[in-house]
Amino acid sequence: MTLAHLTDVHLRLGGRPVLRGLSLEVRRGEVLALLGGNGAGKSTTLQLLLGFLAPDSGSVRVTGLDPRREPAAVRARLAYVPENAALYGQLTARENLSYLLSLAGADPRPGAVEDALRRAGLPAEAWDRRLSTFSKGMAQKVAIALALARDVPLLLLDEPTSGLDPGATAEFNALLGTLRDAGVGILMVTHDLAGAAAVADRVGLLRDGRLAEEFRAGPGPRFDLNRLHAGFSAPARPGEAA
Amino acid sequence: MPSPTLAIARHELRTLSRSRGALAAAGTTLLLLLASALASLDLAAQAAESRARQQAEAERQWQAQPDRHPHRVIHFGTFVFQPLGPLAAIDPGITAHTGHSLFLEGHRQNSANFAEARQSSVLLRFGLPTPAFVLQALAPLLLVFLAFGSVAAERERGTLALLRAQGVPGRTLLAGKALAHGGVALALLLPLALAILLAAGGEAGALARGALMLPAYGAWLLAWSLGAILASALLPRARDALLTLLGAWILLVVVAPRLAPLAAEALHPAPSRLAAELAVAADLAKVGDPHDPNDPNFGPFRARVLAQHGVTDVEALPVNWGGLVSMEGERLQGEVFRRHMDAAQARERAQAATLDGAAWLAPALALRRLSMALAGTDLPGHQAFVRAAEEHRYAMVQALNALHVHKIRRQDDRAQRVGREHWLAMPAFHHAPPGPDWPALLPAAGALLLWLLLPLALLPLAGRRLDREARA
Repeated sequence: MTLAHLTDVHLRLGGRPVLRGLSLEVRRGEVLALLGGNGAGKSTTLQLLLGFLAPDSGSVRVTGLDPRREPAAVRARLAYVPENAALYGQLTARENLSYLLSLAGADPRPGAVEDALRRAGLPAEAWDRRLSTFSKGMAQKVAIALALARDVPLLLLDEPTSGLDPGATAEFNALLGTLRDAGVGILMVTHDLAGAAAVADRVGLLRDGRLAEEFRAGPGPRFDLNRLHAGFSAPARPGEAA
Repeated sequence: MPSPTLAIARHELRTLSRSRGALAAAGTTLLLLLASALASLDLAAQAAESRARQQAEAERQWQAQPDRHPHRVIHFGTFVFQPLGPLAAIDPGITAHTGHSLFLEGHRQNSANFAEARQSSVLLRFGLPTPAFVLQALAPLLLVFLAFGSVAAERERGTLALLRAQGVPGRTLLAGKALAHGGVALALLLPLALAILLAAGGEAGALARGALMLPAYGAWLLAWSLGAILASALLPRARDALLTLLGAWILLVVVAPRLAPLAAEALHPAPSRLAAELAVAADLAKVGDPHDPNDPNFGPFRARVLAQHGVTDVEALPVNWGGLVSMEGERLQGEVFRRHMDAAQARERAQAATLDGAAWLAPALALRRLSMALAGTDLPGHQAFVRAAEEHRYAMVQALNALHVHKIRRQDDRAQRVGREHWLAMPAFHHAPPGPDWPALLPAAGALLLWLLLPLALLPLAGRRLDREARA
C-alpha cells in the first residue's frame, strides 16, 4: 500500500526552481532514504507532505489524501520528526509526549506513553527527567516515541541522525528497522549516506529537483556504497536547483 | 482529553512555573503589590486619623475662642479637610499633589495645602508605591517579561514547526497562549480585590466602586498580555519582541502620560500661582477696603443703604455701618474669588478634557481617569471640595459680619465683644464627596476597551500569519 506519493511535482520558492518533476512513493513497511546536498529540496519534500507547501504542479498524496485539502486528516496519519528533535527542554520525556499527543488530538490508551518510550529504547529512569538534561540521541528517541504513541502509518524524518554519535545512530537505525517491520512507512531525508545505506530499503538521490537515481537494497551488502557515493557527489547542473 | 487550546494554556503555565526568572518576577510583583496595598491602607488609616485629629483640633480652637469682636473671629479663621473615601488608599489620585486641607478666613481664598507628595514622610515619597502605580506601571512590565517569548521562543527553538506538524492551527496556538497569559494578568487582580475589600470595609458604595476598578485594571493588564503575545507572534525573534514591547511600555506608560499634561497645559495655559494671586489682588483692589467704612469705593453702597433706611447719615442707621461695609466688601470679594475660581476650574476641566482625548492614544491616561474617579480622588472631586469650602467660608464670614452689623454698636466698635455662643453654634464643615460622573467616564472606558479589543482582533490575523509562516 502506498502511503506517500508525489507525482511530477514542480515547485518554485522565491522565484527559484526547487523541485522539477519530482516523483516518489513510500510504501507500507519500507524505509526510503532521500539523499541530496544542501538545498536539494529534501526538507521541501517533507513540507509538501505535511501540507505546509503546495506544489506549483503535480500531485502530492498521503494515504490517498491531499495534504492541502485535508491537512488535519493527513497530519493524523503521519508523524514528523524535525531535525534536531525540537522538543520542550523544560518538560520531562513523559510530559513532552503527553502534551504533544494532546495537541495531535490523539487519545492514547493508559500506559501508551510509557509503552512508546520503552519501545523507542528510552530507559525508564529517564522518563521523568527534563529533556534539557538529555543527549541528542535520547531526545531523538523521545521524538520517535511520539510517532510510536500516535500509531501512525507514515513517519517523516528530517536529518534524524544528524549530531548522533555512532552508537546512538546504530540504536536509532535498529529502532527504524523495528518500526518498518511493524508496517510503518518511513521517509527519511538525510546527508548521512552510510546511515541511509544501513537502514533504508531504497535510497533516492535528489538532484536538480528530481529523483536522479534510485538504489534498492540487495541481499548481502545492502548497497554498493561506492555507487551511492558517486551518485551523491555528482554535481548539480549550473543554474538549476542547488 | 483537554482541547488543544486548554492543553497549550496548561503547558504555558507549567513552563512559566518552571522558569526561575518568571517565578521571581511574578513573585516580586505580587509581593510588591501586596506590600504596597497593605502599606497604603496603613498610611491611609494614619492620614485619616491625623486629619480627624487636626479637624478636631481646628474645631476645638475655633470653639475655644473667648467672647470677642466678630471681625477678629473672621480673621481667626479655621481649617477644613477634604474627606477622602476609603479607596483613596488604592489610588490617591491628584490629592497627592493638590492637598486636602484649606484655611478659611475672611477676605482671602486660600488654596489647598498639605499635599501628600510635598508633606508626607520619606516613605511615601521615595518608598513603596501605591497599588495603583504598581498595576498601572510595573505590572505591564511583568506581563511583557512573561509573554514576550511565548511564540517567538517556540519559533527559535523549532517547536513551532513541531506544533504545526501536530495539526495545531496558529489561531489555536495563540488562543492557548492568550488564555494562559490572560489568566496570569487577571491573577494580579487578586491582591487588588483584597485591598479593595480591606479598604472599603463594609461600605457598600466603596465596595461597588472598588468592584468596578477590577474590570478597568483587568482590561489594562489583559491588553498588555495580549499585546505581548501579538508582538511575539509577529516578530521573528524573542529579542525583537522584547525590545518592541519595552519601547511600547516606555512610550505608553512613561512618556505619553507625561507629555499629555504638557500638551493640555500648552492648549489651556494656566497662569503661575503668583500671576493668579496678583490678578485676584488687582480685582480685589477695585472692590475697596472693607475694613474702612469711609472707603470711597463703597459710596454707591452707602447711598443705597441710606436711601433704604430713609436717613442721610450712617450715624443714624439702626445697624453698624462698619459691619455693613465689611459684609458688602465680602460679598464683592466673594464674587471676585468665585469668578477666578470658576475660571481656574474651567481651565482645569479643559485640560482634563484634553487628557481624555489623549487617552485614546495613551491608554494609561484612560485607566488613571477611571481609577481616580472610582477612588474619589480625581479632579471633579477636588473641585467640588474647593467649591464647598468656599461656600462654607463665605457663609461663615457673612454670618460673622451679620453679628458685626447687628450686635456691635458703631461707637467704640473695636472695643466691643459678642458672646462665644455665636461661633459655638455655627455649623461645622460637612462635605459629601460627589460620586463619579459616569457619562464623563465613558470616553476613558471606551479608550481602554479599544486598546483591549485591538490586540484581541489582531490575534486571529497573527494566527493566520503563523500558518503561512509554517508553510514558507
